[in-house]
Amino acid sequence: MNNFRYFPNSKKDIAKLYRILGIKDKKELFGKILGGIPLMEAGILKALPEEMDEEALYRFFLNIDSNIPAKNKTAVFAGGGIYNHFVPAAIDGLMSRSEFYTPYTPYQPEVSQGTLFALFEFQSMIAEILGMDVVNASMYDGAESLAEAVLAAMRLSSANRDLPAGHKDDLILISEGVNPNYTSVIKTFAGGTGVKIGKIKLNGQTGQTDIEDLKQKLANGGRVPAVVVQQPNYLGVIEDLEEIEPLIHSDSNSSFIVSSTEPYSFGVINPPGFYNADIFAGEGNSFGNYMNFGGPLLGLFAAKKEYVRQMPGRIVGKTKDGKDRDAYAFILSTREQHIRRGAATSNICTNSSLNAVRAAIYLSLCSKSGFKEIASLNLKLAHILRDRLLSSGLFEPLYEGDFFNEFSLKLKIKGNKHNNNITASEFIEKMAERDILAGIAISESAVLISATENNGLSDIEKYAENAKEVLNA
Amino acid sequence: MPKFPGIKGIFLDEDPLMEQGSKGLKGISIPDCGLKKSDLKKDESAYIDAKYIRKSPPELPEVSEPTVVRHFTRLSSWNMCVDTVFYPLGSCTMKYNPKINEKIASLENIKNLHPLTPGSLIQPVLKMVYDFNEILCRLTGLAEFSFAPQAGAAGEFAGLKIIKKYFDLKGENRKTILVPDSSHGTNPASSVLAGFTPVEIKTGKAGTLDAGELEKFVSKDVAGIMITNPNTFGVFEKDIKKIAEIMHKNGSFIYMDGANFNAFLGSARVSDMGIDLIQLNLHKTFSTPHGGGGPGSGALGVVESLREFLPVPYVKKVSGENTAGADKNFNRQVYELAEDKNNTIGKMTPFLCNFAVVIRAYAYLLSLGRENIASVSELAVLNANYVKKKLGKILSDPGPFEEGLCMHECVFNDKAIEENGISTIELAKLLIDYGFHPPTVYFPKNIRGAIMIEPTETESIRTLDNFIKAVKEIRFKTKKSKAVKSPQKTKVGRVNEVLANKHPIFKY
Repeated sequence: MNNFRYFPNSKKDIAKLYRILGIKDKKELFGKILGGIPLMEAGILKALPEEMDEEALYRFFLNIDSNIPAKNKTAVFAGGGIYNHFVPAAIDGLMSRSEFYTPYTPYQPEVSQGTLFALFEFQSMIAEILGMDVVNASMYDGAESLAEAVLAAMRLSSANRDLPAGHKDDLILISEGVNPNYTSVIKTFAGGTGVKIGKIKLNGQTGQTDIEDLKQKLANGGRVPAVVVQQPNYLGVIEDLEEIEPLIHSDSNSSFIVSSTEPYSFGVINPPGFYNADIFAGEGNSFGNYMNFGGPLLGLFAAKKEYVRQMPGRIVGKTKDGKDRDAYAFILSTREQHIRRGAATSNICTNSSLNAVRAAIYLSLCSKSGFKEIASLNLKLAHILRDRLLSSGLFEPLYEGDFFNEFSLKLKIKGNKHNNNITASEFIEKMAERDILAGIAISESAVLISATENNGLSDIEKYAENAKEVLNA
Repeated sequence: MPKFPGIKGIFLDEDPLMEQGSKGLKGISIPDCGLKKSDLKKDESAYIDAKYIRKSPPELPEVSEPTVVRHFTRLSSWNMCVDTVFYPLGSCTMKYNPKINEKIASLENIKNLHPLTPGSLIQPVLKMVYDFNEILCRLTGLAEFSFAPQAGAAGEFAGLKIIKKYFDLKGENRKTILVPDSSHGTNPASSVLAGFTPVEIKTGKAGTLDAGELEKFVSKDVAGIMITNPNTFGVFEKDIKKIAEIMHKNGSFIYMDGANFNAFLGSARVSDMGIDLIQLNLHKTFSTPHGGGGPGSGALGVVESLREFLPVPYVKKVSGENTAGADKNFNRQVYELAEDKNNTIGKMTPFLCNFAVVIRAYAYLLSLGRENIASVSELAVLNANYVKKKLGKILSDPGPFEEGLCMHECVFNDKAIEENGISTIELAKLLIDYGFHPPTVYFPKNIRGAIMIEPTETESIRTLDNFIKAVKEIRFKTKKSKAVKSPQKTKVGRVNEVLANKHPIFKY
């Protein structure tokens, strides 16, 4: 037994523990407990890496850090569900407080008022941004949140019809404008229920969900517990939710679910609540969280008040203590697994609490005017970038629909070949070598590009010039 | 003997930020993107159809940076946490969260890395995930892990989906998952989510699952069993190997809820117990912070025959058995994000994994190394048994287990404290005033007024003794009249949860 720095019992203390327990050593201790199960062989342990001292450990990771694209050199125009937004230093300062990052879930409200209050403020600010009644205290990520939204809608629809929750005849309609990874996650979650999953096509010209196709699929009969659209959609296009909503609500058993990977858009465009969405489920990582190579993220889940009993996850409510002081606690816990076990609305326990607190801090820092200003900046930069790339003559539009901070373009074809005969993913690779993450290849010839306040005009210029070199070379 | 940490102090009160605003204030520095004044002034309707444009911006607080910083700093002071108090929350493994791991996860390029960056540029990151996977395989004896599950419950769900898909492909319609009645609530909930019907088995007198009792439940409808080991009483399931054999003979699987894996880390392999699948809660056993409820990571490990069912994408080694030197500076493409798993249950998350959690866990393992890793479980088990022995004398009734040893945690019932009229919840709230976070209470459900204590390996005897002394005072010296009023030293007193649920207030 070595004295390692994370273990506060000395060799003497450990000897004392063994003495008090009347046990000689580890072999006897585990032998008594494990019975026939062997202690791990020395040979297995030997194959593990050697202990690293703290400085060596730091250098090991620093070496990794310095061999990946550098923050100070790379212009990130890739989005596709996660966006390169500016994170103020005040967030990292506050989040370095152990009082926020080292507690467990606030099951003892009297000693967890800090986290509970911060989550209540998170719920309040997100509700305001989305225009929705109730927001929960977070889900894992946008995709899982959306999958849970679909399951909630299926429960609601069964409850309305007074039918058992069998779903063999149910059809979930998902717009092709929904992020394909999100649709995959929905399939993973809903797959076991027997429900069918149908697509709604996109309008080839605008890139919006095709209204005629939606009408037709709804008219085909059958039960449709949920219709899912994303705002702005995967291709960046702003959906006309005003047209879509009444079609879905003509059936009182259908839930209108709106998702989003970029709720920053609701600083400029109307939020899902404005269009009478029943459930919103999407990603909140843009609010004060780093990209972290894709996780942890921040799943947002919101619903109309009347559906709160079908919501998954924890919800913080405001109440009083015995002396009539304001206090916060988890509420409506009878929906949850630790009380209801197999009959819970979801199995979720650990969520993205800390990321939600980050978002609360971020949105507070932004304040009313900053949030709108940054959203507007995103809108303008994306339009400037798109215009600049189109004017180079190397790209052509994929869709004409309005967009917020993300859009898709096609590499222009010369004769019967693409520019310089390269594919979209080759274009991305070559641009990446030049320290530009130029977007995401969404087909052989099309690229999905996003712009945020972290990419100013000089980055846009750099993109355009390098694209020219790469495509004309 | 040290003093009790819970003394009186100043609590700074704080209003909601919404009430502290002043029109026009903000606390963020907006990047100068070089836009022309004319562009900055331009209305949004110059870019998009006016019908989409939000007429009134969201009503966020209007506050400066110092106001925000003071607000949240004050809020933070209302929390108890691992760094300030002993936090013996059973089944949660509230061990110390090393600071170096925070520093590593905050490295500038790592935290700003976009998940869809071309593979050729992120080789070191992919290698890290691949190598960590191999280490977890060695520690468990399983064949492969997936980091896709974002938390323990997600790992359970993924594991059960795999079992479901396995039988679907075999053309067998098995609907039952067996779960002991002492299991975590997530177990039955995950079973239902994966399309199974959970069937509860009563645990035996010794707090363990009896193989003979299990036999009564076995049928061709049983797809598998979910078993927590050590179980939620902190007791090792002595029949585990027999249970695995019974399951395997029936063509069923044995899934182990690895929430309590801290008891085994570096000391025993689950493969030696016959386990087919396990989720490891990296936010418990592997020291990553709980964050006041998350995020976590519930890495799922499986035996060889189930590898092809794991979620995608995953990190695949595509070239070079012997790449020493060649990829030392990560110049060659050796690893890629692949989706080629023939029977995959699909995606769990939009990208690869909760990477910032995984990197902390990996750093933790590398810090310990082969020299120290086995001490984790040893010290955790020693500490728990010390508490069990000492508190056993105070809380008298041995609880679910006879005289045997526990593993990483111990459970008591409320019989002893009831003698002086104190309930479990009152004990919990009284402990707060002494300066301790309460243990897990009223779980497992089948122990009357359960008090579940998990000290972890990162607590000293000195701290444990101090805690034990507090429990002793409560047991022998505390009056009911004080108990009902506690806690008294906290920011707020006992919270009115009835009111909170009767008239729910969800937002400002």
